[in-house]
Amino acid sequence: MTSILLLVVLLAAVGSVAILIRPQRASTFEFYLAGRRVGVVTNACAICGDYFSAASFLGVAAAVYASGLDGMWYATGFAAGFVPVLLFIAAPLRRFGEFSIPDFLGRRLESNSVRLTSVAIVQLIILAYLVPQAVASGIIWELFIGQGVGGLSAYATGVLVSTAAIMLMVALGGMRGTTWTQAVQFLMLLAIFVWLAIIVVASGFNYPDALRELSSRPLANPVESGGTWRLEEVTNRLHPESPAYFGEPGGQYSQLGQFALILSLALGTAGLPHIMNRYFTSPTGTAARMTTVWVVGLAGLFYTLAVLLGTAARSVIRDVSAELPWLAELTTEGVLRVPEYALLVLGQVFGGRAGLGLIAVGALVAVLSTIAGLLLASAASWGHDIYERYINLHATQNQALWAGRAAVAVVAALSAGLALAVRPESLTGQFPSIVATMVTWAFALAGSALTPVFILAIWWRRTTGAGAVAGMVTGAVTAVTMCAAGVLMGDTPYAAVLMTPTVVSAPCAAVATVAVSLASRPPQDMDRIWVRMHGTAADRRAVRIARLTVAGIGRRSREGR
Amino acid sequence: MRDPVRADDGREPSLGSADEHDTPAEVDAAFRTLRRVAIGHVAVFTCVIIAVPLLTAALGWWSQGRLSGGMSPMFAMTAFGLYAFFFVICLAAATLSNAVEERMLGGPAREAHHDEEGTLPP
Repeated sequence: MTSILLLVVLLAAVGSVAILIRPQRASTFEFYLAGRRVGVVTNACAICGDYFSAASFLGVAAAVYASGLDGMWYATGFAAGFVPVLLFIAAPLRRFGEFSIPDFLGRRLESNSVRLTSVAIVQLIILAYLVPQAVASGIIWELFIGQGVGGLSAYATGVLVSTAAIMLMVALGGMRGTTWTQAVQFLMLLAIFVWLAIIVVASGFNYPDALRELSSRPLANPVESGGTWRLEEVTNRLHPESPAYFGEPGGQYSQLGQFALILSLALGTAGLPHIMNRYFTSPTGTAARMTTVWVVGLAGLFYTLAVLLGTAARSVIRDVSAELPWLAELTTEGVLRVPEYALLVLGQVFGGRAGLGLIAVGALVAVLSTIAGLLLASAASWGHDIYERYINLHATQNQALWAGRAAVAVVAALSAGLALAVRPESLTGQFPSIVATMVTWAFALAGSALTPVFILAIWWRRTTGAGAVAGMVTGAVTAVTMCAAGVLMGDTPYAAVLMTPTVVSAPCAAVATVAVSLASRPPQDMDRIWVRMHGTAADRRAVRIARLTVAGIGRRSREGR
Repeated sequence: MRDPVRADDGREPSLGSADEHDTPAEVDAAFRTLRRVAIGHVAVFTCVIIAVPLLTAALGWWSQGRLSGGMSPMFAMTAFGLYAFFFVICLAAATLSNAVEERMLGGPAREAHHDEEGTLPP
């Protein structure tokens, strides 16, 4: 009963914030960009809320829990992703303006085929990212509430309720409502991590000592065979002749595999539509750049805590499993069968049902805020790039808004349908963290198809529309083919590299873009495009207007007095 | 009601003859400097990212030595050090890029603007 009450309060609070801060004027500029007046810290918190999905909140700790040091590469890659964003993309992207990635590429390269190709790729990335979020919401509901509604299973109820709730919030709140709810949601996630870390350390957990104890025996995880569970030693990918240990590399990846995963995640971030769209809401390019610095700092804090908690879960759950009977059905010899349960179980061990409730609420918050960003990015892409450009060229603001809202509903329904078709329990034995792994595929597609084209379009004047289309198609086809081959190969050393294909597909995309660009004509009037993208006149103008506005308000208030 | 300073298509409107502007030549010069800043920082970033896993093969103590308890240098670097490094490199790159733009773009307009505020000597 307490669990359901907590969830109702959460959903009501999120819905209220979205409705209270919803755009007051019916315009697509307000609905998609929040009037371009989102401040640096607010936007940084909102980007974190958008970015830290279930893969970060549950998945990173789960990957560390299952694979030790090799599980940390997820966190490293997720955090590293913002370094290329800051160096190459944030400021020029914002200065060029526009509403979405397809809009940016279409206008920069003056090509409709670029716009349409990027819409298709953006939608694929959004779907690949949405499905694991919906899967995570089902897993959380299953463990937390444990029962379904209206004859549905608990998993199906979780998927449907969370998707429907967030769909309503996005449709009502637009970018302004979503920004504030995401910022609040991120602060809530960080507070939960800080609370759990404090309570774990206060109970006597010692990081270095726990690592020594965990690394004193070979790493082993539960596997099911013939209907029974048993612990099986993890194969060392670096030195197959010796066992893998928690605190040493080799538990999941070879040397190439480690590098391929980090590169996939680092390059993928720059191509994520829901993250890049947030940069269009910054008032200036300089603000977009400084927002990224804040994001990197906050991400470092968040992932440091996630890694600590994953390690603590591995150590503490094994120690207390014999004393807590309810752990028996979740563990095999003190090790959790589903790694995603690590933080939830840790919350219950230290905080009882309330602790479990808090972690579950945090996980749901992470899922909801990411789903919100993805739905909004999808709406911008369908509503602005397709409906307003091709279907109804004379659409009123009201019609364009309703097209965006309809897109939100359709994409939400599609992702929920796909999540219901996935059975997470059939995959958890194969991967350290199914949620983090599925998100990695979205990163791979983004980093292969969009990021190379993005960087070339911003930093190489000769990039052409034909080159960009060739690059996007080459990157997407290579990434999807390699990922599919990796899934078919199953649990082999090469499969891990194939499932993080950016190390191969991004260079292929870059080479295709350059080769075709050199054989075609770049847009005319490149000087105008370059001045708009790399000049700071619009930034200075915005700062000047803001100063004049502040001075005017100050003068008026002094006169009033 | 329309936003007085922005059009509905998201573009900033002109402020007339007193509008800020950049010339293609100064933008190109700033662009080339910023490109050097970005490439320099990304080279350092890539070297560190590659070095952390690669050092395992070259130096045994990197993954098997112990700094405190069971924490190896590689574990400490992966668990905390890399995040601090990312923050420092981003802060350095952002500060340098902002300074480059401040110095290389908007020269005459900035002087005029400062003059309006009385910050330049008469």
